[in-house]
Parts: sequence; C-alpha cells; structure tokens
Amino acid sequence: MSGLGTALVFWPAVVGMLVTALYVFKTASMARAGLLLLASLALEGLIFLALAAEFLGVLQLLMMSGEMVIMVFFMVMFMPDPGGLMGMDMIHDKRRSAAAAVGVAVALAGVAVLTDWPAQMVDGTTPDLRQIGFEVMGRSMLSFLFAGVTILFAMVGGIMLAQQGGRLELPAPEGERR
Amino acid sequence: MISLPVVLAAGAVMFGIGLYGVLGQTNAVMVIMGVELMLGAGMLNVVGFLRYAHPDAASGTFFVLVIMTLMAVEATVGFALVVATFRHSRTAELDDLTELSG
Repeated sequence: MSGLGTALVFWPAVVGMLVTALYVFKTASMARAGLLLLASLALEGLIFLALAAEFLGVLQLLMMSGEMVIMVFFMVMFMPDPGGLMGMDMIHDKRRSAAAAVGVAVALAGVAVLTDWPAQMVDGTTPDLRQIGFEVMGRSMLSFLFAGVTILFAMVGGIMLAQQGGRLELPAPEGERR
Repeated sequence: MISLPVVLAAGAVMFGIGLYGVLGQTNAVMVIMGVELMLGAGMLNVVGFLRYAHPDAASGTFFVLVIMTLMAVEATVGFALVVATFRHSRTAELDDLTELSG
C-alpha cells in the first residue's frame, strides 16, 4: 500500500476506533454498546492492515467479530436495562474515574511522543507472510500450542465455574430449584 | 505522516478509554468490555513496535497472538464468573456485590 493509501486508511480508522470505543461507555443500550465495541476492535484490525500486518489484521477481524457477538448476548442477558429505555446511569465515581483515565492516557501519550525512539522506520515493503508459517512450525511452536491449550482450559474452567452449583456442587439458589 | 509515536499515542488514548470503563462502570460485563479495550490498546502498541522497530521479525506476531489469547481467556473466565455471581446474587452490578467487603 502506498503512503497516501496507508494514511487514507489509518487516520479515519484511528479516529473511528477511538470514537466508537468512547461511545461504548456513553450509550445506554447494551446491544449498541456491544456492537460499538465490535466496531472499535474491527477498526483496530483495519489499522493493523494499514500497518502492513495483514495476518494480524484479518485475524483480529475474525476473532473479534465472533467474540463481540457472544458478548452482546451476555450483555443483554445480565443487564438490568439492556435496551437503555429506562435511562439508568451505569457509571459510579464518574469524575474520579474520568480523571484517572485522562491522566493515564496523557501520561502514556506523553511518553510515546517525547521518547527518542529508534530511527528505523517502515520501508513500505510488506513483511514476508511465509516467515510467520516457518515461525509457527519452528521455535514458536511451543508458545502457539500453549496458547491453544490455555484457551481449552479456560473453556473447561469457565463451564465448570458457570454450571449449576459451581465446582463445589452447592445446591442451586431458591428460585432455580426444579 | 504515520510514525511509531502516533500509533503509540492512539494506543494510549484507547487504554485510557478502557480504564475509564473499568473504573467507572457499575456492571461486571461492562468492566470486561473495558479490559478488552485495554488489551486492544496493548495489541496496537505491539503491532506498532513490530512494524516500525522490527519489521522483519516474525516472532513479534506471536506477542500479538498471546494478547489475543489473553482477551479470549479473560472474556471466558469473566463471563463464567458473571454467570456464577448472577446465580448466587441475582445481579451483576458490582456495587451490590458486597459479601467480601470488610
């Protein structure tokens, strides 16, 4: 992608990602919040594509679209006002949490801008995707396998934790007994 | 012009937005969303470093894959905890979960 093409994808994607991320916590509708989070992370995938990380960009789009759609279901299930029709305020300690968030963001952005980073810059060439395949089958194989096993353990652990009675096999709450 | 500090600054702002969600939201599911945004910001930083500091290093891709794994695991365990909490207390509102408070 040329420099102009990269800029045309990168800047709108960055602005869109940050605006949709902010509106995740501004909207009252939970379905809308989940879809805004999906949009934010999908736009992040576009940024990866603009930065010539095609493999990661496509992976981000695929993984996040699946994960966020599941998250929308959870939000609708567990929110007291999923449609946002009652106008509930779901933020506590608004001023202090906003101050902490702005402070951390400004400090991190300041470090990013003021640090003298190495001069090596992108040369416009796309990295060789075959290298990623060789890396998977080479020295990174163990970490790749470990990531897969970790997700499997998390799935099994999550089901055990969420099942009726939990892992301690406690009796179900009063309203849930059959 | 797009440069490493620009990518890192965008990641910093996204991290701040995620932190606002984690600190400010009252519902556990929304807190999980905030953590997702914070991890997404970390991922953006890693991709920035990968592209601008070591464009030829394929191994850097695996740092991003580890963060993606972490996002999936965090969501899985987080939702399982929300389900377990909801079964017990009939709510996912963090302000109502005071059983362990001193």
